[in-house]
Amino acid sequence: MMTQTMIAPETLEDALAAMHAEPGSMALAGGATLVAMMNAGLVEPNSLVALRHVDTLRGTRQLDDGGIELGAMRRHRETALETPFKDGQTVLSYAASQIANPTVRNMGTLGGSIAFNDPGADYPAALVAANATILIVGATGTREVSAEAFFVDWYTTALEAGELVAGVRVPAALVGSIGHYEKLARIAGDFAVASVALQVTWSGDSIAAARIAIGGSGPTPLHLAEADDMLIGTGADSDALSKAGLLLAQAADPVDDVRASADYRRKVIPRLLAKAMREIAPAREAA
Amino acid sequence: MKFEDSFVVAASPANVWRAITDPGVIASCLPGCEDIEALSPTSYRAGIRVEVGPIKATFRVEVELTDQDMPNFVRCITKGEEGTRASMLQATSELTLRDIDGASTEVAYDSDVSVTGRLGKFGLGVMKKKAESLGCTFAENFRVQVEAA
Amino acid sequence: MTEMVTLRVNGREHPCRAGIATTLLTVLRDQCELPGTKRGCNQGVCGACSVLVGGKPVRACLTLATDCEDREVTTIEGVGTPARPNAVQQALIDTGAVQCGFCTPGMVIAATALLEEHPDADIETIRQGLSSNLCRCSGYRKIVEAVSLAARRTAS
Repeated sequence: MMTQTMIAPETLEDALAAMHAEPGSMALAGGATLVAMMNAGLVEPNSLVALRHVDTLRGTRQLDDGGIELGAMRRHRETALETPFKDGQTVLSYAASQIANPTVRNMGTLGGSIAFNDPGADYPAALVAANATILIVGATGTREVSAEAFFVDWYTTALEAGELVAGVRVPAALVGSIGHYEKLARIAGDFAVASVALQVTWSGDSIAAARIAIGGSGPTPLHLAEADDMLIGTGADSDALSKAGLLLAQAADPVDDVRASADYRRKVIPRLLAKAMREIAPAREAA
Repeated sequence: MKFEDSFVVAASPANVWRAITDPGVIASCLPGCEDIEALSPTSYRAGIRVEVGPIKATFRVEVELTDQDMPNFVRCITKGEEGTRASMLQATSELTLRDIDGASTEVAYDSDVSVTGRLGKFGLGVMKKKAESLGCTFAENFRVQVEAA
Repeated sequence: MTEMVTLRVNGREHPCRAGIATTLLTVLRDQCELPGTKRGCNQGVCGACSVLVGGKPVRACLTLATDCEDREVTTIEGVGTPARPNAVQQALIDTGAVQCGFCTPGMVIAATALLEEHPDADIETIRQGLSSNLCRCSGYRKIVEAVSLAARRTAS
């Protein structure tokens, strides 16, 4: 039996050293995901490295180019309500505001959530739609991975043993773009049956640029450049939108589970996309 | 959970039969399968390790061939549990071999698996996806191994 | 393996034993003799185990005991007593907003924190603020009324 310990280092260096020293140790951020899985007997860490005191993992940093860096320990509540997102970057605050419930949003963190890559979680699709970069630290240094490459498989990310999510960099979105997160869940706060995260730039009534990611519908968020491109030059309720929705539905690889069947999930993807687009379409002039 | 799939091996039904009823071959083709031992000509025991991200499980299973029609059909019952943990696994599987042209054989499998306990609680949706991908890997490994023999 | 941790709960120090997977909820109920905090789903969904840590409502079931050592924990036993109920508790009594009572401690914690942050909370804010807590009797209407009453009393 290995010794099970919990340590709460003050610095990132100490945290990484502790992760490295004890193979099988896991980082404890807010506990909203990890402790729930421990309670269910699904995950049994040898030891835990609590990140609560590591101040460098908190807070946000505005970058000169309009990007924002969010620390891994940023709570969902802070991401939802207190982050100065601009333009399409707001896809992240919309997603954060729909995670679980207000109390869990006081606890759960950005890094903790994405490190699990739960297929029903809200951040993964939003980060892919925002074209974000995941900042990873390990004993041997730091590296950056695009959100698209970070989510690898069911509950699996690009994190190697001993590595931590340090934060996320959200690039500046196109000026005037709109961010939106449309989630279908059995009740508010449940994991998504399916979700659509998007950034759209309108030029009058037609779409000048779009980036769509589907959540809850496969091992990783689904993003198809082909689907994005199909929308360019079209309107909020065009054939192209239905076709893009169908293309995404066909490419999805959803599970059958208590929340919904795989077929149902495929069926709702185009509808969720259409709904999301209607929500953010420019208001029609009264005839 | 029900699984159904098929794959084609460039070998005669007799050769495919020999391989697919050989615990050693099965073990070497199935990712995570370890310590396989024959208990009798129609039963064996093995450990199967499954990992989904941070969720790790090792089942000790016993497989019993309950019905055989060489070289066409075999049915087996798999029962297992996860060490001291509360997950239980039970499966009934059928394999049907079909001669395509004397030199190649279609292997169709049909399996009904139930998992209860902590892994059942976790939700079988993702487990099924994982099992399907294990099935594909097994088929590919098996094909390569039998065709090379 | 268990280690000793000293928790500060409702202003008192409680020396406790906790393993790596022992939650604050388990320690509060089994070692601190504070069973007012309820174990519902153990998954962070139901809210019956809500407590205040550092003044903020959290799930005791998703909080590890060993991760609480330097934090101030307030449970239902710490917000009021039968002799001196707090504003939310008094309003729940006056409104008759308690059915089976299992969700009540969590509701009181959530509502107390909510009124701390929004003393003049309107109905919509109250509904949002209590959306972390499930009532299986479905007695939400009365509960929202009670918290609204508490808000009005506190304001006046």
